[in-house]
Amino acid sequence: MRKKIDVSQFDKLRQFGTIIGLILLCAFFAILSPYFFTVSNLLNVAQQSAIIAVISVGMTFVIITAGIDLSVGSVLAFAGVTLASALHAGLPVPLAIMIGFATGFGCGLLNGVLISFGKLPPFIATLGMMSIARGAALWYTDGRPISGFDDGFRFLATGEIFHIPVAVIIMIVVYIIAHFVLTKTKLGRYTYAIGGNEEAAILSGINVKLYKNIIYGIAGLLSALGAVLLTARLNSAQPIAGIMYELDAIAATVIGGTSLMGGQGTVIGTLIGALIIGVLRNGLNLLGVSSFIQQIVIGSVIIGAILLDTALKKQKTK
Amino acid sequence: MSSFKKILLIITVLILPLTGCHKEEFPGRPTVALVVKTLNNPFFNDMQRGAEEAARELEINLIVQAAEREVDVEQQVQIVENLIQRRVDAILLTPSGSREVVPVIARANRAGIPVLNLDTRVDMDLLNRDNAHIATFIGSDNYEGGRIAGVYIAERLSGNGNVAILEGIPGHETGDSRQRGFMDGISAYPGIRVVTSQTANWERNLGYNVFENILQSHPGVQAVFAASDLMALGAVEAIASNNRQGSIIVVGFDAHSEAVDAVERGLMQATIAQSPAEIGRLGVQNAYKLLNGETIPEEITVEIKLITKDSLAEGNF
Repeated sequence: MRKKIDVSQFDKLRQFGTIIGLILLCAFFAILSPYFFTVSNLLNVAQQSAIIAVISVGMTFVIITAGIDLSVGSVLAFAGVTLASALHAGLPVPLAIMIGFATGFGCGLLNGVLISFGKLPPFIATLGMMSIARGAALWYTDGRPISGFDDGFRFLATGEIFHIPVAVIIMIVVYIIAHFVLTKTKLGRYTYAIGGNEEAAILSGINVKLYKNIIYGIAGLLSALGAVLLTARLNSAQPIAGIMYELDAIAATVIGGTSLMGGQGTVIGTLIGALIIGVLRNGLNLLGVSSFIQQIVIGSVIIGAILLDTALKKQKTK
Repeated sequence: MSSFKKILLIITVLILPLTGCHKEEFPGRPTVALVVKTLNNPFFNDMQRGAEEAARELEINLIVQAAEREVDVEQQVQIVENLIQRRVDAILLTPSGSREVVPVIARANRAGIPVLNLDTRVDMDLLNRDNAHIATFIGSDNYEGGRIAGVYIAERLSGNGNVAILEGIPGHETGDSRQRGFMDGISAYPGIRVVTSQTANWERNLGYNVFENILQSHPGVQAVFAASDLMALGAVEAIASNNRQGSIIVVGFDAHSEAVDAVERGLMQATIAQSPAEIGRLGVQNAYKLLNGETIPEEITVEIKLITKDSLAEGNF
């Protein structure tokens, strides 16, 4: 019991640090660029971050169980092309979206089965799925994008409710649900328990295999939601979409304070992590900084965030 | 919190040098943005160079940006969105995806920012459906270049032989046009057979791998047309590592400096020259004209030509 309190205290402290980081970053860009701190640009950043942010929720769950999911970008592409072909076949939008979700959930579930029943390390299982889903997307489309959808579907990208882009609202809803699940439900408690000490979780009667399947399934489902948002945004589903999104999602999760060792982390931290990456890319673009330097900065921020972790942990043990 | 401060210090030190990057060279003058597919391809570096020269002559500010990865059209879209927020005066765009950039072009239109389409054509059908428009298209005729390459290979093989094609990323207008041109070029020669046509994603190392596989599966291949020089150079390396030098005709596209060198040394037989620097220069010049209220042509074609050992000997490049 004591350990649990410590962990959550650390999480709070860490989350506070991440928020301060985001605020400082915003202040920094606001000073340097007159175009940064405007309502339209902040909504622009939120919209740009929405896709990675949504995928990162699944990644956070997986990483809290001390796992990893390298397949999220490929699953996004595969779910995207099935969704797009369903739309082109004339299916109603909700049904087409369900088909995309089913693809994503199916891929995630397969990851879960390979990891729980097949006893494969998550790195290997999802590395395989990364290649399989990408290949499936390319094969299914013959390598070509599927483009051009009706306004009803594109509303997900172009629409606004009370001046807030629909994608941003979806992102916020996903985070509220995920925060609730992680902090208030059995699934959430078990997610931490599996990552904290899997043996102990098994011994205390948790059906670890079942919950791993659910968690990887959720990660696949959220990749499919990312696919819905991306496809609506670009009015096109590309089989090569989402390449290396897994790295952005891992980066957002880690910057947000979730430990790759498992058992620790919050989705709110991840949201801030995703926003930090989004703000960095946006701000550096506004300043006209080259993409090469942007990569250096983002890499430095990831390392900086982990340094912060170790520093805070040291502080606490003193 | 001393270590926390230390980390903040590190981050600040890392980011501070960037503050110098955004100074306008010509304050009060128009700002034009050039968004290319990638900046780690010499073709786009040449385009950047041409654009920068023109910008300096006309005394306008130029911002050059590209996504980290050539295939990442979503990030390119984000860059264009950010440039709209930054209220640049005009955007020169080489789309990473001909269809996927259409919605963001519509956004630029709504913000009153003209978009000039360079090098790779935007999908006109989707553009019309979205009621979006581009100010002009500036580029070379990729179809014509492909056709020239097709005729050249057919002639070199005296109208009879087995040919392989290395394609770009499927669905890219540029590669598709080159390939269509090539197929039409060889169509007058019924003895020319395309034994295989595979994608190498515009990449040199994939060009190597894919062509090495082709050499195994189709040992009788006599010529290869690669839709870009990087893939052609990969094929050249595969040919060398299989000791097949001299037996296979290699024709690329882009007149990449290394490819021109390879043509000179007889490792490649030809490449198709576009003038990326000219495309960049014309892009900036026409953006400037547009901003001064002049009308510009709907389409500006940049010359394309075949580079061979002979044409190089004549100093024709």
